Amino acid sequence: MTARTFKPSETVDFVVIGSGAAGGVMARELSGAGHSVVVLEQGPRLGPADFEHDELKYFFLSGITNDPVAHPQTFRSDPSKRAMPLPGANALVYARIVGGSSNHFTANFWRFHAIDFRERSTLGGIAGTGFADWPITYQELEPYYTKVEWDVGVSGLAGASPFDPVRSKPYPMPPLPVKSSGVLFERGARKLGLHPQPAPMAINSQLYNGRPGCIHCGFCMGYGCEVRAKSSSLYTMIPDAEATGRCEVRAESYVFRIAMNDKGRATGVLYFDRDKREQMQKARVVVVCANGGETPRLLLNSSSERFPQGLANSSGYVGKYLMFNQGGGVHATFEHELNEYKSVQVSRILHDFYDSDPKRGFYGGGGIDARIGPQPALWALASGPGVPQWGDEYKARLESFSRSMMSTGHTTSLAVESNSVSIDPELKDAWGIPAIRTTYKDHPDDLSIARFLQDRSVEILDAAGAKKIWKEDVTESSFAVHLLGTCRMGNDPKTSVVDKYHRTHDVKNLFLCDGSSFVTSGRGQPTMTIEALAFRAAEHISRFAKRNEI
Amino acid sequence: MSASWLAMHWPAIAAAAHHADDIPATPVAFRTFTAAEAADVDAIASQIIPTGTTAGAHEAHVVYFIDQAFATFFAARADEYKQALRKFQSSFQAAHAGGTFAAAARADQIACLKTLDSGEFFQTTRLLTVLGLVASPKYGGNYQTVGWKLMGFDDQHVFQPPFGFYDRDYPGFVAYDSQGRA
Repeated sequence: MTARTFKPSETVDFVVIGSGAAGGVMARELSGAGHSVVVLEQGPRLGPADFEHDELKYFFLSGITNDPVAHPQTFRSDPSKRAMPLPGANALVYARIVGGSSNHFTANFWRFHAIDFRERSTLGGIAGTGFADWPITYQELEPYYTKVEWDVGVSGLAGASPFDPVRSKPYPMPPLPVKSSGVLFERGARKLGLHPQPAPMAINSQLYNGRPGCIHCGFCMGYGCEVRAKSSSLYTMIPDAEATGRCEVRAESYVFRIAMNDKGRATGVLYFDRDKREQMQKARVVVVCANGGETPRLLLNSSSERFPQGLANSSGYVGKYLMFNQGGGVHATFEHELNEYKSVQVSRILHDFYDSDPKRGFYGGGGIDARIGPQPALWALASGPGVPQWGDEYKARLESFSRSMMSTGHTTSLAVESNSVSIDPELKDAWGIPAIRTTYKDHPDDLSIARFLQDRSVEILDAAGAKKIWKEDVTESSFAVHLLGTCRMGNDPKTSVVDKYHRTHDVKNLFLCDGSSFVTSGRGQPTMTIEALAFRAAEHISRFAKRNEI
Repeated sequence: MSASWLAMHWPAIAAAAHHADDIPATPVAFRTFTAAEAADVDAIASQIIPTGTTAGAHEAHVVYFIDQAFATFFAARADEYKQALRKFQSSFQAAHAGGTFAAAARADQIACLKTLDSGEFFQTTRLLTVLGLVASPKYGGNYQTVGWKLMGFDDQHVFQPPFGFYDRDYPGFVAYDSQGRA
């Protein structure tokens, strides 16, 4: 069917900025509840036939991601220094197409655990950080995790891990087939008394909701799915939203400012259309789902006389407490072929080290997975201490690709106030919009937990019978795809940007929902939680709208 | 593979086949390198991924890939690279009685590269050599997919389990008991 369209001058119930993990859910739930919705997406709309197996394009030429030429950013690790563009790269990377980063994510869909939401009150404060509890609990979010699993589509095995948080329903699909990396990881981990489990993935293991099961091409991480088996917003939430007849997804519409009236209410958003003409979409309510980098940028770029330090920023925390997730890779080579380039990236994970343990001497926890390293080029470029870089020994390493795997940690990042998204004082993008400046330096504990889990990976791979094991360097982050914490939720308007329903404390009809809402980083794999938050937020926002409480 | 499975996936397979076109048959003329520059870059790439019993950077036409890269997606860095290349050439020739890197003995080439392999010129050449080895052949390298063959990578769009040796006889996931024991 042809989806409904609206004129920008028509005042719709909701304008949603961003069509990714959160924006897709928001569009579907709000339009499904009877509201008119326009979704504005920066990037173009692509389909399965537009996606390619092309490592150079997707990882080196910004195939579907925000490219550093048209959308430049600056970076610094030291807040006292001037931020500079990274050569040929952006610090905050996201897919800039309809469906956002839900197109190119790896699709690891772990739920957060109950501890993630109340870790501060369990462990106590950590000096020099903004470590805090969430204003919601796991129990409050559980029904929405279940909704993600069933409505978006997640495959997995309920109850497989003794560490799994309580759940109200099993997964709608069985896990994807185990890979050789998963078998070896499971063998090694079980020998050590650990509890590996099938990986929950937002990829169909069989025909589900009119989409096919995975055909195991192997190009998930960093790529758009060519068969619609990956449960991206593009293939799930957005078609559902359009099918309501109440939602338009307008691609190549780049929002640069939230419009406000003199009563302090948002009236819509200003954006550039595909011809770089300025437009204004009028709306009763503005919902920003632009990701943890672009959402604070938009608020800061929407400053005015009334809101001199940026919109919804009376707390001063817009853009602060940026969290990336750390982690470290370990490579292993075995006697026989694994052919890890085939099929989804991950088939086994373990959560034995999920909780922080004061006995380790530092804060942090995480999960470990068994995975393909990346596809050939990135795998060939991976490096660590003592690993040959060229010559006959390097060639021998390349020849071990099909016998190799990785085990990777996915770990916590502490909320540090100076880690932030702000507006670069000079740099502008190709539209003349002030660019993102990222300031980031990992908390020492973030590096400690990453190294700790690397050592656990080494033990697991050794117990699995690896012939050769080497660790990648754990280094300070200079780029990220997990963009978290920059408009954190909280009950206190002095220390948070949105309330527990994702409404900004300062503007009654402005809501923010995406990775920016996170209070803590979890242990990587944030998209599942972003989508659960969006389902929950949409339910409350729709209720507020119907009761005229917006 | 059942007929219904094929019907379900046919559009994807057709799309995949569409992407597989556009593989150049033979290398074109160099677009940014002179013959002497190309010979030296080819020789450096051939030390990064040497030819042995299996193909290396030379057989993968890495030098054509690098040449194309500087004419297209890497154009912004072409001048900087060419300057570094000329500096490399002149200092090598100055130290080797005017002989070029390409014409030098293998041991001399290796000894030379060892002195500069942490520098930017070498690192850029290495990055492009690796990409030229295994990027899609449509970019001018990975000739006849020799790079993928070297690494044991098979660019198919459909695979079925078992994928490797170790998942062939996997007995199935064994649940843990309430104490977390298998």
